[in-house]
Amino acid sequence: MTRPVLEVRDLAVEFDTENGRVRAVNNVSFSVNAGEVVGLVGESGCGKTVTGLSLLGLVPSPPGEVVNGEILLDGHDLLKLNEVGMRKIRGGEVSMIFQEPMTALNPVLTVGYQMTEVLRLHKSLSKRQARNAAIEMLGIVGIPVPSKRIDEYPHEMSGGMRQRVMIAMALSCGPKLLIADEPTTALDVTTQAQVLDEIVRLQHQFEMAVILITHDLGVVAQTCQRALVMYCGELVEAAPIDSLFASPRHPYTQGLIRSIPRIREHKIDRLPVIEGMVPDIAALPEGCHFADRCNRVQADCHERSPVLTPSAEAGAVACWHPLEPQHD
Amino acid sequence: MAAVPETIVFVAAPPRQGLWSKAFHKFCRDRAGLVGLWVVLLYAIVALGVWLGFWAGDWADVTGPKWGPVSAQHWFGTNLIGQDIFARALYSTRTAFELGLVVAVLSTFVGAVFGAFAGFFSGGWIDELVLWFMGVIDSIPFYLLVAAIAFSLGDSPYAMYIAMIATFWVGTSRLVRGEVIKLKEFEFVEAAHAIGLSELAIIFRHILPNTFHILLVQATITFVAAIKSEVILSFLGIGIQDGMSWGLMIAESTIEVLAGFFNNFIAASLLMFGLVMAFNMFSDALQDALDPRSVR
Repeated sequence: MTRPVLEVRDLAVEFDTENGRVRAVNNVSFSVNAGEVVGLVGESGCGKTVTGLSLLGLVPSPPGEVVNGEILLDGHDLLKLNEVGMRKIRGGEVSMIFQEPMTALNPVLTVGYQMTEVLRLHKSLSKRQARNAAIEMLGIVGIPVPSKRIDEYPHEMSGGMRQRVMIAMALSCGPKLLIADEPTTALDVTTQAQVLDEIVRLQHQFEMAVILITHDLGVVAQTCQRALVMYCGELVEAAPIDSLFASPRHPYTQGLIRSIPRIREHKIDRLPVIEGMVPDIAALPEGCHFADRCNRVQADCHERSPVLTPSAEAGAVACWHPLEPQHD
Repeated sequence: MAAVPETIVFVAAPPRQGLWSKAFHKFCRDRAGLVGLWVVLLYAIVALGVWLGFWAGDWADVTGPKWGPVSAQHWFGTNLIGQDIFARALYSTRTAFELGLVVAVLSTFVGAVFGAFAGFFSGGWIDELVLWFMGVIDSIPFYLLVAAIAFSLGDSPYAMYIAMIATFWVGTSRLVRGEVIKLKEFEFVEAAHAIGLSELAIIFRHILPNTFHILLVQATITFVAAIKSEVILSFLGIGIQDGMSWGLMIAESTIEVLAGFFNNFIAASLLMFGLVMAFNMFSDALQDALDPRSVR
C-alpha cells in the first residue's frame, strides 16, 4: 500500500495569455500510493484541472507548457516521453474521467464503438473479444442489460449512465491510476452518490490509485483517504482526511471547511465566508498568495512565500503561522 | 463501500430516436421534399436505364427527317439532322447524373478532408496553407479556370470534372472547417485524446462523423451546381466533349431557334429545370430535417 504509483515533483505549468506568461501551476509535489484515493481540492481556476491534465500530457499547447518538474509513474518520468509513448500511457496505464458526461461521449458513435476503440487500441483484442470485454465492463459499472445497451447512442442514456459508461471506458484497460476530474459535478445529488460509490467500489476491485479532482469538500470527505488543497496554483495543505477535517492547519483550508453548510450541528445565521477575492494569477502578490485574505496574517507573510513543509502529523502545510493541531 | 442499490430505476429506453431517424421522420412530413425526392428518383431510374442500355441507345442515329414534328415515334420531334430529341434528352440525363454524382462525391470528400485538417489545426500552418489555397481558387473566375484546365489537358473530357471538383470543394471546406473548430473544443475530443488516440484517428473517426449532416447537404447542393454549370460550359464549348448533354442540346438549338424550331431548346431546358428544381426541393427539405434547431 505504501509504494507510490505516481510521484509528482516540482511541477510547474505556464500559459501564454494576453497579459503575458502566467504560471497556472507552481511547485506542486505530491505522491499517490497504489490503492489510494487522493482528493485534489480547490476553487475554480486554482489549477486542479491543469494539474490533472498535465499528468496525461494533455495540457493544451499552445498556449500551455509544462516548464518544470517530474511526473514519475512507477518511477518512469512521463514528461520525458514523446507523443507516441504518451499515447500508450493514456487510456492504458493512466485514464481520465471528465466532468461533463453529456459531452464527453461522441454523440454520433455508439457506446460500443467508443468502448471497443480503447480496448482494441491498448490491448490489441479482436473485434469480438473487445465487444465482449466492453459488455463485461458495462456490467461491472452497474449498467443493466449491457449486451443491449452497448449498441445505443449516448443521447439514449441518462447522465448517470453516461458517466458510468465513461468510468467503464476509463477502467477497461486496467489503469494503475485514474484521474477523475469533477466526475460528479454535472450530476444530481442522488446520482452523484451512486457514481461515487461506484468509483470507490471499483477502485477496491481493481486496486488502482485515484486522483479525485473536485471543489466539493463533501465529496472528498466521502471518498478520499487523503486530500491536497490547492490555492492559486500551489499546494497549501496535504493531509489525511480525518486530520484535515478535524484540525486543518492552513487558514485557507479552515476557511473552506467552515464554509460548508452543516445541518446537524448548531444553527448559525450566516455561513462564514473567506473574505476577499482570489488574486489574479497574472499579478500574484508577493509572499504568501493567501495573505490578503488571511485572518492570521502577519508582517512576514507579505515578504516570503511559504513552502509546503511536512508537519509533525502525516500532513504538510505551506504557511508561516499555521493553526495549531488540535487533539480530541 | 456501498453496493449499488438494486432499486436504481433506469427507465426503459425510449424508442430509438437518433439524429438520423429523427431527421427521417421530419423529412417524411415535408411534402415538397418528398415530391422532390420522388422526381429525383425517377430521373435516377431514367439515367440508370440509359446506362444499362434499356433506352435511348439510338440517340446518335438519324431516325427521322430534319426538324420532324412531335409524333408517336418521335415524342419531342427530331433535330436539325433528324436525330430523335427525346432519346437525346434521356441520354443527357445520364450525363447529368454521372457528372453530378462524381463531382458531388469527390468535391465533398476533398472539402471534408481539407476542412477537417484546417479546422483541427486552426491557427497553425496547415490551416494557413489551406485557407490561402481556398482564397486563390476563389479568386479565379470559374469559367476561366475551366477553360485553362481544358486547355492544359488538351481538350480532355475530364477537364470539366477536374475544374468543378477543384472549385466546388472550397465551399464545403469552409463550412467543415468552421464546424470542426467548434467541435474540437468539445469534451469528447479531449476524452479521445485521453484514451490515447492519435490525432488522425480523432479527426477521422471522432470529428468528421459529426459533420456528416453538413457533408450530405453540401453534396446535394454541389450536385445541382455541377449540373447547372455543365449546361453553361457545354454551351460555351468547354464542357462535355463527347456524348450528349442538355448543355450541348441547347448549344445545338441556337441555330434552330433562329429558324423558329424550339423543340430541342425546350426539351433540354425543361428536363434540366425539372431535375434542378426537384433536387433543390429535396436538398432544402434535407437541410431542414437535419437541422436540430428547426422544430416542426
